Amino acid sequence: MGPSIPVKVSVNGVPYERRVEPRLLLSDFLRHELGLTGTHVGCEHGVCGACTVLVDGEAVRSCLMLAVQVRDRDVMTVEGLAASGQDTLHPLQAAFRDAHGLQCGFCTPGILMTLIPFLEENPRPSEEEIRYAISGNLCRCTGYQNIVEATRLAADRAAQREGSTA
Amino acid sequence: MTAGRYFGQSIRRNEDARLLTGRALFVDDVHLDGMLHVAFLRSDFAHGTLRGVDCAAARARDGVVAVYSAEDLGDYWQPGPLLVPPPPIKGHVFHVATQVPLARHKVRHVGEPIAMIVAESRYVAEDALADIEVDLEPLEAVVDVERALAVDSPRIHEHLESNLAAHVVQQKGDYARARDDAAVVVARRFRYDRGASAPMENRGIVAHWDARAEELTLWDTTQAPIPIRNGLARLLGLMESQVRVVAPFIGGGFGPKIMMFYPEEVLLPWASMQLSVPLKWIEDRQESFYGTTQERGQVHDAEIAVTKDGTILGVRDVFLHDSGAYDPYGLTVPINSQCTLLGPYRVPNYYSEFTAVFTNKTIVTPVRGAGRQHGVFVMERLLDLAARKLGIDRVQIRKRNYLSPDEFPHDHAILFQDSAPLLYDSGDYLPSMEKAEELIGYRAFIEEEQPRLRAEGRHVGLGIVSYVEGTGIGPYEGARVTVEPSGRVRVATGVGTQGQGHFTAFAQIVAEVLDVDVTNVQVITGDTREFGWGTGTFASRGAVVAGSACYEAALRVRDKITKLAGEALEVAPDDIELSNGRAQVKGVPSRALELGELAVRANPLRGAVRPGTEPGLESTAYFGPARGSTANGVHAMIVEVDPETAMVEIKRYVVVHDCGHVINPLLVEAQVQGGVAHGIGNAFYEQLVYNEDGQLLNASFMDYLVPTSTDVPSVEMGHVVTPSPLNPLGVKGVGEAGAIPTGALFAQAVEDALRDLNVEVCEIPLSPNRLFDLMREAGASARG
Amino acid sequence: MIVEGDFTFQGPRETVWGLLQDPEVLAKALPGTKELTQVAPDQYEGVMQVALGPITAAKFTVKVELKDKVVPERYDMMIDGRGPVGYTRGVAKVTLAEHGDGATVMTYRADLQIGGKVAAVGQRLLDSVSKMMTKKGLDALNDELKKRLGP
Repeated sequence: MGPSIPVKVSVNGVPYERRVEPRLLLSDFLRHELGLTGTHVGCEHGVCGACTVLVDGEAVRSCLMLAVQVRDRDVMTVEGLAASGQDTLHPLQAAFRDAHGLQCGFCTPGILMTLIPFLEENPRPSEEEIRYAISGNLCRCTGYQNIVEATRLAADRAAQREGSTA
Repeated sequence: MTAGRYFGQSIRRNEDARLLTGRALFVDDVHLDGMLHVAFLRSDFAHGTLRGVDCAAARARDGVVAVYSAEDLGDYWQPGPLLVPPPPIKGHVFHVATQVPLARHKVRHVGEPIAMIVAESRYVAEDALADIEVDLEPLEAVVDVERALAVDSPRIHEHLESNLAAHVVQQKGDYARARDDAAVVVARRFRYDRGASAPMENRGIVAHWDARAEELTLWDTTQAPIPIRNGLARLLGLMESQVRVVAPFIGGGFGPKIMMFYPEEVLLPWASMQLSVPLKWIEDRQESFYGTTQERGQVHDAEIAVTKDGTILGVRDVFLHDSGAYDPYGLTVPINSQCTLLGPYRVPNYYSEFTAVFTNKTIVTPVRGAGRQHGVFVMERLLDLAARKLGIDRVQIRKRNYLSPDEFPHDHAILFQDSAPLLYDSGDYLPSMEKAEELIGYRAFIEEEQPRLRAEGRHVGLGIVSYVEGTGIGPYEGARVTVEPSGRVRVATGVGTQGQGHFTAFAQIVAEVLDVDVTNVQVITGDTREFGWGTGTFASRGAVVAGSACYEAALRVRDKITKLAGEALEVAPDDIELSNGRAQVKGVPSRALELGELAVRANPLRGAVRPGTEPGLESTAYFGPARGSTANGVHAMIVEVDPETAMVEIKRYVVVHDCGHVINPLLVEAQVQGGVAHGIGNAFYEQLVYNEDGQLLNASFMDYLVPTSTDVPSVEMGHVVTPSPLNPLGVKGVGEAGAIPTGALFAQAVEDALRDLNVEVCEIPLSPNRLFDLMREAGASARG
Repeated sequence: MIVEGDFTFQGPRETVWGLLQDPEVLAKALPGTKELTQVAPDQYEGVMQVALGPITAAKFTVKVELKDKVVPERYDMMIDGRGPVGYTRGVAKVTLAEHGDGATVMTYRADLQIGGKVAAVGQRLLDSVSKMMTKKGLDALNDELKKRLGP
């Protein structure tokens, strides 16, 4: 086994310090070192997008990054989306539930983490834009239709909230 | 059962909060103290003689705990079980050759496991794979199904005389005479090739032998935990009660996660017992391309005999079925092809003969559709060709041959995969077709829009096809319904769940019967300790069979409630009604008891439970349908083909389906949408490409193209309901429906779009490349 | 996979032939060869390391046997390379023809089976990598030839 390297990282706002092998993937680090198993691994070659997390706010594939690359950075996983508590959901998560935007749920965390920065950038996306945004995330169950619907629902609700607070 | 407060309603899912927050447990999320990790050395060769496996260097590596080759398994080494014995069809031939835990003497497909390494981490286990020395003499690979049957073909299984796995003839009437009477006979060769099931979650196993408790726990990505428990107990010499198999949340199944007794599934429990440590193996995507079963390789020589007005006189179909290297799943897939071909049509004379063939490729077992695609493809294509030859509209020829509602139940006089006669329970096909015509705007498209767009030089086409699907077969499932003192209701059933929404659909059935809030019904599936009787999730049967068992169990609990409440409230049980979690005297809501209170009373701490009664508000029921219920539907699509690039754009996609009563329209529509996406993948994007050496050339998601959000259209949906008389809910299965007719539909639509080029599509999958070739060939033959 | 082509050496056929029989030269002509030793007449064994797209510098144990030799015209090279990421097996047919001006034209045609991970995930790159390796090998042979013939 190779030498271990210290990694200090913030994940979902919680600071962690671990020593890791240089070759340890970020996905394995999150799942097996930190026990954050909400991030799923579907292909380990960067195509399926299930392992998408945010690093400093940007969506990245955690199977294509090494744990040592997130030293001193902020990582956010699906576990960080909702405030803690069993029944609280982030508005995007709630929209996925309400529009039946998931079936087996395996690809879902990656899709949510892809959509978070997308909706920040583009709060009122068209269907085409949504489809393009998630075109790097594979889903075998839904045919994507309800994922698109759920995303639109989340955007509409956010716009309504904006409107009512403005 | 008809629609009520919960049954038949679009209710959001009970399971979603767990899945959306990352709390849902998948197999790879299981972490146990002291757990070690497993990797498998797999064959690079499709066919070869295995002379030796030297594991010494691997064993010596730091961090490696154990290495096993076939030699090290001792008596535990034995071929896997025959999962589905062939139906008792007269004169059939079936040769069994089931998969082995680790290759011994021979390898028979790329990816077949040769050795197993247990190490401190998966990284180390994979490092150690390179230390193993394999002495292997390559043999010529058997890849092509026709070549496999040649006298001089290499033999894959030494105990057999040839590569023939099975030969089956089923027939009714007299096709030869039908042919003589026909105005037109159309014959073609049709091909369907392999695809991957490609669930987003690969397979995985965690095995934990607890030596103190003498219990084995297995977390397994299986669609059928109970058969796996039973089989493992037998293999390991344990009592079934000593084995617990848990199928937690499963990231999609689509068939291959069925009770396969995959090598990994058999080896990890054994090794955990040997080493007395928990073991984990998680398949990676590349392993999945080799090691997880596949489907769909068939070659059909088929013909149809019709009268001048397009009435079907008979069909003859002779086909070869690619079994892959082993045939543990018996004849399910080719028999489904054979039976589903008949579709919604009246076919008085039918001759169907198939030969299943061993090849040096990954094992073939059902993948969403399970052979039905091929039957639908052949029949629908034959009808299209016959219609064209006769100058009849393609919708007309279908309508002309539909079975009419008064012909049900309809006996097709051949045997289905479940060994029962192929007997359609119910159906009414004309309304489905008419609705599809209306939704897609059939007349307007072919009479106005298409001519107009063609005049502009655009290649637009329409497809419209029918299918039936035998669903919801036996043998049985069971369920236990319990009202707890909290008033919440627990439902346990044996089927596993892979995203279908069982936590909600079963809850709806029970909530409807007991009139409790659907979110107060907690469903447990796929844990043999919770419910130990049943088979599994396959053949679009979960809602039909397990759903009916939930219903029956809930009815019994309701009886217990009304009896107990009647006693407590001093009225007859018939005078008790259930309402909003309470049992009340009919018409007197003030005289009521909470179900939780009744549950407490049903489990007294003092006094005596009277003879002949049981404590608790709990009941278990089983449901076994005599045979499957037949769902049906019509799919229609409009496409535009770019003649330069041969890219096909799907402009519209319409599905009209009839799966009897619908438990939850939201879930049903989503199942269909997902199936359609899978079907579109099979039709135009996905193909497992094997070369002549049996090497799979596209074993990654970079090269094997699962459709993305930009490839799949939104599906417009229409419903027709002909309830099944075979179960109390009147439901039929729907899980596979979306994927079944898509190939036939795609072929027809693309042909229609390219009518000026006279392209004929007799194969699936297509691809832009293949379609381009077909266009070029058609152009060349037109010129020639 | 078929790898074929021809190459003109500026040197006499016998010299080129001699080069092709020398394990040290052969090692240079098979790019990625880490070692190559003669184990018997016309039989060589060694280790090669090849990178192919996502597959990084994988080691292969290689056996090479020269057969059906017609000095100095042609021979068949039987190749059997195996490693943790796959295998390559097959035969390369090599002929040498005299060309005017003292040049020698080598024609080669290798029919190779590629299997395992190399075939499964490297398929799209096989063609370009094999071309690149062939060119490297031929350049190495040509350099060696020039060295032997002197300035």
